[in-house]
Amino acid sequence: MDYTQITPREQTAMLEAIGADNMEPLFGAIPETLRFRGDLDLPPARSELELQRDLTEMAAHNHGPHDMVCFMGGGAYDHFCPVLVDQLIMRGEFLTAYTPYQAEASQGALQAFFEFQTQVARLAGLDIANASLYEGATAVAEAVLMALNVTGRRRVLAAATLHADYLAVLRTYLSDLPVELVELPADGGRVAAATVRAHMDADTAAVVVQSPNVWGQLEDWSGCFDAAHEFEGTCAIAVFNPIASALLKRPGDCGADIAAGEGQPLGVPLSLGGPYVGLFAARKRFLRKMPGRLIGRTVDAEGRPAYCLTLQTREQHIRGAKATSNICTNQGLLALRATMFMTAMGKSGLREMAEQCYHKAHYLAGRIAALEGYALTFDGPFFHEFCVTCPRPVTEIVEAAKRRRILAGIAPHGRRMGGIGGPNDLLVAVTEKRTRAEMDALVDVLEELGG
Amino acid sequence: MTSVMGAGPTPMNRPPQHGAPTQGERPVEPLVFEKSVPGQRGVDLPPLDVPRADLPDGLVGEPVAMPELGQHDVMAHYTHLSHRNFSVDANFYPLGSCTMKHNPRVNEWAAALPGFAQLHPLLDDEQIQGALRLLYETRCFLQEISGFDEASLQPAAGAHGEYTALKVIRAFFRHHDQEQRRIVLAPDTAHGTNPASCTMCGANVVAVRTQDGYTDLDDLRRLIDEHGPRNIAALMITNPNTSGLFDSKVGEAADIVHEAGAKLYLDGANMNAILGKTRPADFGADVMHFNTHKTFSTPHGCGGPGAGPIACRAEFSPFLPVPQVMMADDGSFYLDRDRAQSIGKVRSFIGQFGVYVRCWAYISACGADGLTNVAEKAVLSANYLAARLADVYEMPWFDPAAGRYCAHEFVTVPRRLLDKGVTLNDIAKRMIDYGVHPPTMHWPVHDCLMVEPTETESKRTLDHFVEVMLRIAEEIERDPESLGEAPSDAPIRRADEVAAARNPVIVWEA
Repeated sequence: MDYTQITPREQTAMLEAIGADNMEPLFGAIPETLRFRGDLDLPPARSELELQRDLTEMAAHNHGPHDMVCFMGGGAYDHFCPVLVDQLIMRGEFLTAYTPYQAEASQGALQAFFEFQTQVARLAGLDIANASLYEGATAVAEAVLMALNVTGRRRVLAAATLHADYLAVLRTYLSDLPVELVELPADGGRVAAATVRAHMDADTAAVVVQSPNVWGQLEDWSGCFDAAHEFEGTCAIAVFNPIASALLKRPGDCGADIAAGEGQPLGVPLSLGGPYVGLFAARKRFLRKMPGRLIGRTVDAEGRPAYCLTLQTREQHIRGAKATSNICTNQGLLALRATMFMTAMGKSGLREMAEQCYHKAHYLAGRIAALEGYALTFDGPFFHEFCVTCPRPVTEIVEAAKRRRILAGIAPHGRRMGGIGGPNDLLVAVTEKRTRAEMDALVDVLEELGG
Repeated sequence: MTSVMGAGPTPMNRPPQHGAPTQGERPVEPLVFEKSVPGQRGVDLPPLDVPRADLPDGLVGEPVAMPELGQHDVMAHYTHLSHRNFSVDANFYPLGSCTMKHNPRVNEWAAALPGFAQLHPLLDDEQIQGALRLLYETRCFLQEISGFDEASLQPAAGAHGEYTALKVIRAFFRHHDQEQRRIVLAPDTAHGTNPASCTMCGANVVAVRTQDGYTDLDDLRRLIDEHGPRNIAALMITNPNTSGLFDSKVGEAADIVHEAGAKLYLDGANMNAILGKTRPADFGADVMHFNTHKTFSTPHGCGGPGAGPIACRAEFSPFLPVPQVMMADDGSFYLDRDRAQSIGKVRSFIGQFGVYVRCWAYISACGADGLTNVAEKAVLSANYLAARLADVYEMPWFDPAAGRYCAHEFVTVPRRLLDKGVTLNDIAKRMIDYGVHPPTMHWPVHDCLMVEPTETESKRTLDHFVEVMLRIAEEIERDPESLGEAPSDAPIRRADEVAAARNPVIVWEA
């Protein structure tokens, strides 16, 4: 399919206007020795109909939540998303615009991002939020970089119960910097406030705790962050789940200074892990140190409300090497998705969604724990994900469930989750989408394999 | 000139008006929070079908103050907002360096197929063979287009690709006991992300002078001598460069850098101009990133998502981030997560998969000849616009008579017009009245416009743009002060960006 529109006749006229006899002079700056004169070894061009056929065929070779019952979580959750979000997001005015550099030509996106920032700040219980980062893991890394930058200190304490990928990305981001990353060991699936206290010192820039954590357990944010704040200036960083925030105390309610998290649960398709959207909120004093785009409310020349990119002197295109982050293109369309989702669900809908996740997960956990040979791995509070210790290697259970078209959960012992936990551990997530019948079917599979 | 326009501005596409409250003559769109009505809700859920469990003591919070709107008002709100936005679909959008080309909708259709859109990232490899095939083929496409041996699909955007590649280069040097190579050279006209990415990797950036838009090779040699060849990690260049010119001396630059034992990094932002014409590996680059949202038409989405895959020579292969998509001997596909020398993970899970579905669909639609055609039409269109406008809008580096053409974009510093007492901003804002999205401004040099039409615009649109620009020039000749009022036909008059920065309001407080 040729998406260009200039006809051969028009090309001739255009070359004439340029004063070139043919196309060659236009590429004359490329020395002949550097020219590629062969044919790129790519499959032949395809028509749209062929593309539709081939892509349908490729998609048919995948199996997952679209044709199986999904109890997989581990940082990406199978939530409901109203159709209107899918429809609105396809509007070309959103899909095909870019970063709203020109305020007067981009009020729609700017206002939506301003509303997104407000919603994210409210979900985090903090004062301010940015217009998105790439995804959860890099949002956490950016939060840590901001804390290092603000405090000028060189030590970071991160709970070992962070999502394995978040810890891995944090290690990558800190590896070439003169910074020490200390992992806070967990006890019973959670990090104790006393553990934080025992590791604190005056050079600690940040304490990072995720709740719900990698095991689905709810951490003692308040206790951990109080311990962090015993040293003045240390930044308490909460890694949060936006759906959990609609039911449980939010990062800001528990003393966090910065909150970062994965926005995928807010109406973003699972899409094999991306594109997702990183959420980033903080207290007001960090405003000028924030990474990423910020949209500000202002007025136009006649006093009307107007929105524009603001505090751009923080950013790479102005500040270069001294910018607060290198991020340029962020996840605009996913931020729009998330804001549409939050608006469509509304205050009561988001709360109900969170409550249903909680109650359904507890129903399933209760039923599994009652099976012979099965036990909840940890006894702390959880939201919508929990770990079960099974009577046999979890790979056998996962395979048996697959045959019933059920994705039983995640084996945290596997490489994909950083090899945490034991071989019999199964991480199970339950969203509002799961029905009682689906949960009972999973219980049946487990029961057959138990005892 | 025969004008297709009347006396006043005739927008190429006027945003439709709607019945929102007005202030003055223009509608004001209230914030979604201002439209909130307690008790309203846009969508329901089925009743809870399990018993309620006890909520955890002391951990429960209040419902979060989200807006409360009925479904129709939700639709109306975002539809109204969409009317207040320029886009490639509706407007000429020649934002230089951003490659705002047409976004084929079959790509969107594909990414939304349930067999792609609803895949959990932790599924077993055997469950996602179709998706892994797509990723593997995309990897191969990018290797072929760049001429490199390897590619990694991990980075989430161009800047993230730069960051990832610099980490890979550092890991390479560490492995070869050359950890002291911490200096990265970059032209003084580099994208701002280049130095910012260096800082995040703990590298020091040193700016290389540019002359007439090109990297000054004497300055490059001088800087290498000054800082010591042993301390240089890389030179980061963009080619075609940020002035819209293919740097003929890139091979020489590569030789200089390689002689110092350093690597040449290519910022692939401008790949659209050279697809199938020359390959970064052929002109001496060692590592590069692509911007899929630019070159391969995965849409820009008001600022993302993009993807910033990197391609490189085989010597960097062991250091690429995990996971890497691979093909096994039996023709099946898998994700390799065990790479001992890898820099590790740079983001969660597998990458911007949904973006690569679009990228695959775009490259597959074009094929080899199609991609070459893309480069030709992009360069033709830019040169055509430059040629038509050069008499009125001065172009420091465009002179066809002397054989100096631009690549896929051109820079104009309209000094004669600015001397009439208008600002560059006045010109840009006036373009909005004509339905044209302003080009990139003040970059790579002050007081410039950087215009990139892309290959997908028709000649008719290009001609219309020429007439808009000539008409604006006439308006400046006639009444320069009138431009200070622009835009007069947009959803808002000029936004007060100074006030926004002086008193930042970035969340709504009723």
